[in-house]
Parts: sequence; C-alpha cells; structure tokens
Amino acid sequence: MPDAELLARHINGDPHAFSEIVKRHRDRMWAVALRTLGDPDEAADAVQDAFVSAYRKAHSFRGEAAVTTWLHRIVVNACLDRMRRKSVRPVADDELIEAAERDTPMPDQTAEREVSMEVSAALKLLPADQRAALVLVDMMGYSVEDAAQVLSVPSGTVKSRCARGRAKLAPILSHLRNRSNLTRVSSAKGAELRDG
Amino acid sequence: MTGDTHYDLEILAELAEGLLDAATAQQVREHLAACSPCGELLADLAAVREVLAATPTPAMPMGVALRIDRALAAEAGSARGGGVGLVESPDWDELMRDAPWEEAPEPVRLGVVADDGSVVRTRRRASTRRRRWAMPAVAAAAAAAVVGSVVVSSGLLTASGGEPGRGKVLQAQPAVPSETAGVSYMITDSGYNYSEHALKQPLVGYFGPYEAKKEDGGGNGKVAACVSKITSRTKLRPIAVDQSQYNGQEALVIASWKDQARNKVRVDVVDPFKCKAIRKPVLGRWK
Repeated sequence: MPDAELLARHINGDPHAFSEIVKRHRDRMWAVALRTLGDPDEAADAVQDAFVSAYRKAHSFRGEAAVTTWLHRIVVNACLDRMRRKSVRPVADDELIEAAERDTPMPDQTAEREVSMEVSAALKLLPADQRAALVLVDMMGYSVEDAAQVLSVPSGTVKSRCARGRAKLAPILSHLRNRSNLTRVSSAKGAELRDG
Repeated sequence: MTGDTHYDLEILAELAEGLLDAATAQQVREHLAACSPCGELLADLAAVREVLAATPTPAMPMGVALRIDRALAAEAGSARGGGVGLVESPDWDELMRDAPWEEAPEPVRLGVVADDGSVVRTRRRASTRRRRWAMPAVAAAAAAAVVGSVVVSSGLLTASGGEPGRGKVLQAQPAVPSETAGVSYMITDSGYNYSEHALKQPLVGYFGPYEAKKEDGGGNGKVAACVSKITSRTKLRPIAVDQSQYNGQEALVIASWKDQARNKVRVDVVDPFKCKAIRKPVLGRWK
C-alpha cells in the first residue's frame, strides 16, 4: 500500500496506518538524524519529536511531495531546530586544520569504526545547513533535487552548500584515502577526474 | 585562486558541482591540466564524497523504536482515548536463540529468592551520573573482588548480618553451604542510562563497587528471579546486574561470563517488569 494511502487512512482514523509508515521509514529517519546531529541521544529526541509532529499534522500533508520527502523535511527541521537551540557555531579555518591534525584513533577500534567516528566528528565542524545538505546528498544518496525539496531551498543552494561543505571536509578527511580499499578507489577516481 | 598560482578547494568544489560560469570553469580546467597540486586537491574532494557515501548508517536501535512507539501511543491515547498498535518489541530471546556465539555452556544451577525475601541490595549513589572510562585501578580491582560476594544459591539470595563499612561492599554469605554450587553476582543500582555504545565498553567501568546493605524489599527478589530466568536460558554465569536504564527506558543490564579467560561477557538488557529482552544481547567486555 502506498505511503500516501496509509497517511490518508491514518487521517481517517485507522489506528494502525501510522505505525506502518513509522516502520517503513524509521531507519532512514534515524540515519539522517544521527548523521546530522552526530549524537545518538539528540538524534533519538529529534526523530521522536518528528514522528509525533508528523502524527499530529498529518492532515496538513497536501500530497505535493512524496510522504517520504515530507517526513524527511520534518526530521531535518527537527534536527536543525535542535542544532540552532544549542547554538552550533561555524568553525574557523584554523580550527579545521587543528581538527585535521588531531590524532584521535583508539588502539582497539576497527578501521571502519575509526572512519565512522572521524566522519562524524568532521561533520560536526560544519555549519548546520552544509551538514544537512551533505548528509542527504553524499551520505544518504538522495539527488540534489530531492534534497532541495526536503530542505525547501533551490537546487543551486543545495549544490553550493555541498560544495562548501566538501571543501571544508577535504583537509580533514583526505587522509582516509590511504586507509581503506574504499579510499584507494576514490583516490583513483579523483585522479581520473583530475586527468580527464 | 590563491595568489597567481593555484585554485583553492572551494573553487574546485564549485567546479566539480558545475557551479562555475563557463569561462571560469574553462580557465580552471586548463590550470588543472597542468597543475599537479590542484589535481590532488580535486582528488581530495572526490575522496570526501566517497568516504561520506561509504560511512555505514546503522539501523534505528530497538530502544529508540520502542520509545517512539510509546510516544505515539501516548499521542494516540490523548487524541482518541486509545492506543495504536505500533512497533512490537521482538522476542530477542527467541531471535537470538541460535546465534552463532551462543554455544551450549556447562549447566549452572541457579536458585530463586527464598521465602523470607532476604536480599542484598546496594545503595543508590548520590549522583546517578556515572563515571565512564576513568575508573581508578583500585576501584576496578574492588569491583572485580565484589564478584562472588553476593550469592544466589539454592533459591536463596541473602546477605550477612551487620552493617557494611561505608564505601565497602558487603560480603554476603551463602545461606546454604557452598557445595550447592552457589552462583554469585553483584547487584548494582546505578540508574545510569546506557546506550548501545556504553554496552560495548568495559563494563566494570559502569558496574562499579557499591556499598551494599540488607533490605527486606521485594524489589531485588524480582531482580534475582529475572536474572535466574535469563541465565537459566543462556546457561551462563552472571557476573553483575545493574538496575539502570537503556535509552531512557528502565532496564536491568545483566552481564554474564561468556568466556572469562578472554574477558568476554554476554550482556542482556531486559525490561525489569516483564523480564523480557528489550534489545538483542551484546557480546561485550568486562574489563
């Protein structure tokens, strides 16, 4: 059954319809919130707030976008609200360089976990709008157009935020190129891009 | 452009994203064809995209799903006077029954609380905020020494008489002679809000040494009965049980030896009221 029909049933009083929507989308919503906020407790609060909010204002869904886009928008806004309330400040270039030089790996961590932690720490250094754009486009794999709908901004703005975010992350994360198969591949791809 | 020689990362990122006007883009491309350092920067930008794309995104933890379920059920209840059938908690015990690392261990005899309800109960800390990593070695040793002091044996969990010294753990004695194969473990009452991450850290840092005291409340009887139920199913020897929370939900965190020589413990997180697993067991470390 399509999401839109489930939502319509929920609005009409079906007590099980919304639970099906939650089950379908909770993992993606969790991933978006966790990556955007970088903190499981904050992410849990944001996703809970978002689902409760969606439950309450289901009647305001007009069907212009997909239900999943609508849900993403609510989750991302819940995350951005939390970030604003916590006054996450933009980071100066010298702090980014410091972060790049910081030696954080723990001896008992797997390489994958190290990478994940470094990515999470690096994302936290970005302004909220750039972080949200990169999470949607580069981490979750949504198209620029879909991300633009979720973020309620033009596609060009999403591209610009992604570009600025990547430029800030490059000095911090580029060393990961040499630490996994993945990054060796990316390095080769980068070289391909460079060499045309 | 940085000086007259190279382009900065932001220009290169804009080029990659197609944001530059045609003339500028052409100029940058010509420069890239001849400039190796700028080519490296472009490769770094491409690496960022791929590192981000390859970073694993875990599924929503069951504790969070249950929390959302409860919040929505409450919402439905307030709106309609009834609940909605949201996320059902899976039966983790059943799901994990055939987990690969659950090889059959030696049987361990366990009992339940005696009729007189004698229990060992620890005192809640002044602060529920737990220390994490920085547990002093002395404290860690004390915690290790506690293992074996609280005894469930042949249906009786009991404590010796007398008041324990402040800051010390009461040395409890089995009411039944030790030949009944007493299984000993520590019960703590931290109230700490565990996360999945915390469960994977050395647990001795969370299950610290506590001052124990004798109480006649039935609360620990219920705990002991639940521990007995869980460990009779896992056939593992419990080390310690922490009355705490998991992702904001009240929980018993039960640590049992999986492989003491290799410091491996199975961690069960159960609902203290229903004695039912609220997340899948974790294979963690004690020290």
